[in-house]
Amino acid sequence: MSFDDFREELRKVVDPAAIRASDHGIKGYSLEVTARSDQVGRIARAARDTDLFLEAISGVDFTDCFQVVYFFNGFGAGSRVQVRVKVNKGESLPTISTVYDAALWHEREVFDLFGIAFDNHPNLRRLLLPEDADFHPLRKDFGRVHAVRSTDEIYGDPTA
Amino acid sequence: MATQLPEPIIEQTYYLNMGPQHPSTHGVLRLFLKLDGEYIIEADPIIGYGHRGHEKMAESHLYEQFLPNASRMDYLSGLIFNHGYVAAIEKMAGIEVPPRAEYIRVICAELNRISSHLLWFGTYIMDLGGFTPFLYAFDDREIILDILDRVTGSRLTYSYCRVGGVAKDVDDEFIAATRGFIQRLRSRWEDYHNLVTKNVIFIHRTKGVGVINREIALRFGCSGPVLRAAGVVYDIRRVEPYSVYPDLQFEIPTGTAGDAFDRYMVRLQEIEQSLRIIEQALERLPEGPIRGRAPRNVRPPRGDSYFAVEAARGALGFYIVSDGTRYPYRLKVRAPSFGNLQVLTEMLPGTLVADTISILGSIDIVVPEIDR
Amino acid sequence: MAEKKLTYAPLVHVAALEHMLNLFRANSLWPMTFGLACCAIEMMAAGASRFDLDRFGAGVFRPSPRQSDLMIVAGTISKKMAPTIVTLWEQMPAPKWCVAMGNCAISGGPFEYDGQYAIVPGADLIVPVDVYIPGCPPRPEGLIQGLLLLQDMITKGEKRNVFRRFQRRAEKGR
Repeated sequence: MSFDDFREELRKVVDPAAIRASDHGIKGYSLEVTARSDQVGRIARAARDTDLFLEAISGVDFTDCFQVVYFFNGFGAGSRVQVRVKVNKGESLPTISTVYDAALWHEREVFDLFGIAFDNHPNLRRLLLPEDADFHPLRKDFGRVHAVRSTDEIYGDPTA
Repeated sequence: MATQLPEPIIEQTYYLNMGPQHPSTHGVLRLFLKLDGEYIIEADPIIGYGHRGHEKMAESHLYEQFLPNASRMDYLSGLIFNHGYVAAIEKMAGIEVPPRAEYIRVICAELNRISSHLLWFGTYIMDLGGFTPFLYAFDDREIILDILDRVTGSRLTYSYCRVGGVAKDVDDEFIAATRGFIQRLRSRWEDYHNLVTKNVIFIHRTKGVGVINREIALRFGCSGPVLRAAGVVYDIRRVEPYSVYPDLQFEIPTGTAGDAFDRYMVRLQEIEQSLRIIEQALERLPEGPIRGRAPRNVRPPRGDSYFAVEAARGALGFYIVSDGTRYPYRLKVRAPSFGNLQVLTEMLPGTLVADTISILGSIDIVVPEIDR
Repeated sequence: MAEKKLTYAPLVHVAALEHMLNLFRANSLWPMTFGLACCAIEMMAAGASRFDLDRFGAGVFRPSPRQSDLMIVAGTISKKMAPTIVTLWEQMPAPKWCVAMGNCAISGGPFEYDGQYAIVPGADLIVPVDVYIPGCPPRPEGLIQGLLLLQDMITKGEKRNVFRRFQRRAEKGR
């Protein structure tokens, strides 16, 4: 199973215009995918079938939406994939913990720090903060931050 | 004569809390275990007792102000975290690092890797009951700390790397001391193996215990010695080379069985390979400046970037989202122990409580990097 | 409404006996293994081969709070961990002492800034602290200096500690 197999699988799931190659030497990932929340499960399964592992799931808070970023990586060179999913505030994402057990904790962490819920997660409770905490610290309206931006200001691409 | 008990014994499962204050959990980890006698039915690691809010701190601090935080996340391989953090910024901002600084960074990072593995060796064997290797390992580790103290100014939590290079130059005394240390550790290497590797009790407690094979490692996102003991040759220094690692010759030790003994052997062999790397880097250390041209407050261009390095515990990643100002918009640290610790939910059910210590120690976690 | 003041003082005082007991307590402090973060490594290094704590009597680290009389709070106190620390302190039998090791235990250290949410800025907010050892992390020699200071506090002066075969540099000439 090579990385090209994953690219082929990906084209069946996501609109090819949403897949962009990027320079691994500059960005750290070779493929950049903009996906919708309903496509996440099939992307994860395609990654699992082509022998990639889940490296990280991160959330980012913007004025207009949340963005959840998945990183998949293979054991070969230059096989890191970034999958960016926009989530409106208050919406939830489907879980990929049935595909990757690593997602159990990564999704709990995103829920804990941002408040983004994951449907059908078997154990969605707080991971890092005390169980009775009532805030989500990494949101931009909590605590002290330097700036709050919208997605366009960072990525500058209206389709991103 | 067999004793006849008057009525049938009613057995129940019970819950045992290991931690957060426990001598063998290497930090504030809490293991919530459901036990049936001595056998574990379910294990739930509860983390967050070391959560200090690093990622939130990054959003209101300059890139340079976050540098002390980087080495306090995994304090045992603090220089490697330093290196990864500044290299991530340099890659994003397109800042050149002079070769002398790169070689110095590699030498210090490998010294840090050796000191981290030595500490793991000492504490792991102490958990299993042997106290002497702890004293041997710490004795050698103190020499590394003296060497690094001389050049960085600190024993444990270094803030030595700067955007564009390193803070202070190394002198001939440093080079001589490092060469002396390499010789000394090589001469004592046989002692280490004689003390532990052939010890019958050690072999019984680690062989076949906590087998993590390739499939489990893939599902949980393990990396580092845990993954390499399962037979997968995955080392960021080889797969995504950074700094001057492409010019240096070293092997990637792997195991076959994926049990605790293999993880132990992989780490000891990694110490030997690190000594090789340091020797080569000292030979090739060029003259020149130690800081490249970098602005006083760096401003990476808008966008995001991911940079991975090989920390002592596995694949460390820095994901930076920048909005073009001097402050990061989002900084996510992908800690190696985060993936490695989750394996316990799969490994522990079915084992004995005494094996828990052996498995947990062999995975080698540092809780503050999980909690950030 | 009068508050009942908790005191650890015994009901009967016999000065010479007190002095002897303090002498023995000071020279065999048993710390609890209580490392939270980075300072824990320096505490381990202080107990290891180069900076041996055992020569001051404090080398026997007990895992259980019921068997120890010194709690070295080494590391950052997160809000999730704070109730545990108070529980452990209350489990320790009297007479007991507490040492705050490192900047995080003294006042929050590098993690205390305007707008932080995660830590308790200082151990003295939750347990009574006797000695503060600054540093980030303090060198093992710093921990030893703090312990010797605590020993002097217990024996009420270094001159009364007849088991000590040297004189602390800070106390020389007093």
